[in-house]
Amino acid sequence: MSIVLEKIVKRYGRQLIVDRVSLEVADGEFFVLLGASGSGKSTILRMIAGLAQPDGGRILLHGRDVTGLPPQQRDTGMVFQNYSIFHHMSVSENIEFGLKIRKKPRAERRAKVEQLLDLVGLAGLGSRLPAQLSGGQQQRVAVARALAYEPNVLLLDEPFGALDVKIRTQLRRSLKEIQKKLGVTAILVTHDQEEAFELADRIGILERGRLLEVGEGEELYARPKSSFVATFLGAGTVLVGSASSGKARFNTLSLPIPEGIPREDGARVQLLIRPEHVVLSREEPPGGAAVLGRGTVLEQTFNGASRRATLRMPHMPATRQIAPPIPFGEEGFLVDAVVPTDEPLTGREVWVSLRSWHILGPPVPRLMVYDLGSGSTEPLRLAKQLVEKLEATATVLAVADGPGAAEALRERHKRRQDESDLTGAELRIRYGEAADQIISEQAETPYEMVILSPSQKRFAITDPRADGMGGLTGKVLQQSRAPVLVVKGEGSRFSKILICTAAGEPGKSDVRVGGRLARRLRASVTLLYVNAREEAPGPLARVHLERAAATLRSLDVEGDIRYRQAETASAGILAEADEGAFDLIVVGGHGPGSRKLFKLSDVTKQVVAGSDCPVLVVPSDVK
Amino acid sequence: MSKQTKRRHSMSEWALIGAVVLYAAVLLVGPLVSILWGALSEGAAPFVREITSPNALNAIKLTLLLSVGATVLNTVFGVCIAWVLVRDDFKGRQLINGLVDLPFAVSPVIAGLMLILLFGRDGWFTWVTDSLGIKMVFAWPGMLLATAFVSLPFVTREVMPVLAQIGTEQENAAYTMGASSWQAFWHVTLPSIRWGLLYGVSLTLARAIGEFGAVLVVSGGVSGLTETSTLFIFRSLDDRNYVGAYSMALVLALISFTILMLMEFFKNRTGEGR
Repeated sequence: MSIVLEKIVKRYGRQLIVDRVSLEVADGEFFVLLGASGSGKSTILRMIAGLAQPDGGRILLHGRDVTGLPPQQRDTGMVFQNYSIFHHMSVSENIEFGLKIRKKPRAERRAKVEQLLDLVGLAGLGSRLPAQLSGGQQQRVAVARALAYEPNVLLLDEPFGALDVKIRTQLRRSLKEIQKKLGVTAILVTHDQEEAFELADRIGILERGRLLEVGEGEELYARPKSSFVATFLGAGTVLVGSASSGKARFNTLSLPIPEGIPREDGARVQLLIRPEHVVLSREEPPGGAAVLGRGTVLEQTFNGASRRATLRMPHMPATRQIAPPIPFGEEGFLVDAVVPTDEPLTGREVWVSLRSWHILGPPVPRLMVYDLGSGSTEPLRLAKQLVEKLEATATVLAVADGPGAAEALRERHKRRQDESDLTGAELRIRYGEAADQIISEQAETPYEMVILSPSQKRFAITDPRADGMGGLTGKVLQQSRAPVLVVKGEGSRFSKILICTAAGEPGKSDVRVGGRLARRLRASVTLLYVNAREEAPGPLARVHLERAAATLRSLDVEGDIRYRQAETASAGILAEADEGAFDLIVVGGHGPGSRKLFKLSDVTKQVVAGSDCPVLVVPSDVK
Repeated sequence: MSKQTKRRHSMSEWALIGAVVLYAAVLLVGPLVSILWGALSEGAAPFVREITSPNALNAIKLTLLLSVGATVLNTVFGVCIAWVLVRDDFKGRQLINGLVDLPFAVSPVIAGLMLILLFGRDGWFTWVTDSLGIKMVFAWPGMLLATAFVSLPFVTREVMPVLAQIGTEQENAAYTMGASSWQAFWHVTLPSIRWGLLYGVSLTLARAIGEFGAVLVVSGGVSGLTETSTLFIFRSLDDRNYVGAYSMALVLALISFTILMLMEFFKNRTGEGR
């Protein structure tokens, strides 16, 4: 193995940039790390080169542990995005630099430079200054320079990022050729899928510092294991359906389930539809075809060789689209199709069927439970319920003052976890101030829900500055990116959910998140609208409620709408929750912009403070 | 129509050029001509006689020695300061960054006084220099320190923006190719900052040659011993030896002028610079 990474970790301040990445790259392999900006891909490369030090893990180059070594002793060749050519040296001198440092004799240096100039296609330009070269030529010099001293590995940090498309394609081809000719192991970092597919022997997909999947390009594209990779590589629609008698069912469409994916009745399965696999026809496709249904052409764009059409499909019961996200208030779902230009899309209603498809396992939501380590185990019990019903994984977060208290804490939490039967959960211990640590943990690992319990059961809302609740709950609600389930009361079964579409301020994410939760929990939903005066709700509120109901219908959740007159919104919500014996209240929280500027809305605060059943606070930017 | 706008444009252009020329003539050329006139008003013989007198020769020698010494000091330490201020982030960086400009803000006379306070009779550090056998005040070490003090900011201020602009990526590239920190600095960083550095060096040199106030306070101005060229001019004027004063002034102006011209020449010849 040329390059071996063992669980390397990198933090900048409190932000986790690279999260336990392990990777093996074979001799002579061309490996591409593909990820969006900020995914940590360049940091990984810099750690291999020795320009950044990992906070954990090991790096081996050709079997040699180089983790603590400075860059000079690692013998890597690196090509930077901005070329980093030495401007005061001629092309030859640039290429010679590494050899000069290694004190190679002059004749050998000359010969090597000539050979490399030839290899990168710059023969005869050795005496030029970098300023006299184009960007593409400069990058060729950078490649030659990095190869001159025959390094162990070649590292390329978005080498074509600053070049225009045409030169980029040229350079890509010659880079691949050179790499194969010399047989040097290479890692290239890019955000450009096309580049990755063209160059790589294998591709690694990075997201938020985690290496999600590794494999050959075609394999990753055709048979991704996670919905993130499915939608990150290329375009496509992902639907969630369920298994029944060994088949994946998406309404009337029933498809075989491949090996290795849970197939027991009721297990959730995902369907990936690529635009190029969608077939449109005017007549009903013959029996045996995978028919999705009849769709309406929403829009189409002409790309020369092909035409891309977006179709709106009617709502399919027991099926939900998770990517791309459907607009709020839509009942059906959207499918993209690529069709040849000569196939006219006359008639706006067409039959949509699939030429090919891919079935993925269920998406696994992640929950985080903040456990105090003493007192009621209700949060752990609720987490257990959710883990079972949502097929989720849970992480129990414990916060200690310092590493000294960790062992005792671990013991105690183990016991509490066993008591509440939440045995599969991972325990994480962090040090410092609890609210800060909950937020940090969220920044490092994305969670779908945070569960915590306020220290008091009911708190007074006398001091407006104190948020009317424990400092911890207030702070977390203020800053959390994920919905926060505040545990109140005991024994909730999540069977009756009250979604509060707060008057005046229509929340969308609370309806979406609450609806999705109800669908998975098979709970009944009531949409509540509270009015201060005794009159019918205005047209805006009615439209919002209708769209909210449509969104619920698209999730196969029946929601009844209740109007209520009360002095304040929170009083109305609390009264309704009490009378209707609801066991979960869903309210909206804040958007990212308003989070810093304002405190939590009074309604949210008062509901959280006064409720006798759990309250789910959904930030408005949750999708 | 277009012709008219063009003419008006060129008229305002000419007015601007005229203003610049007039300004330069009054402030730059005028004094030069008057110095030249003053030095040679009684013919070449008195000029030669004055400039070759032992005191004058000694003053020129001392001036050159001090300014070259101060320039070397400030080049080395100026680059170090610039490096630390640009590349390292530490507590008190802002403070040091501000302090670098102190020599510009403080009058040279005050700078000289501070040195007397530190190294003069009963000064704070006199016991150190005494035990080392070095005489600071009224001797060349003190004068060198004074000259270095007043010309400190030039190199740092010229190098800092260039250093910030080139960034660290080229050095990183050199490191991955096996270069040590010193090799990377010598082969990669230094050539990249050379124009800024050269400009800073020539400004330092010109400033050091012209230094008067701080040196006057520290040196005592003993003719033939601790008298620099500028002090020589001052004394000659006091003694109503106008030819002597003007002659030395001419020589100093020529030296400074030559330094600046040499730099321009090098810059143009390599077709680089700023």
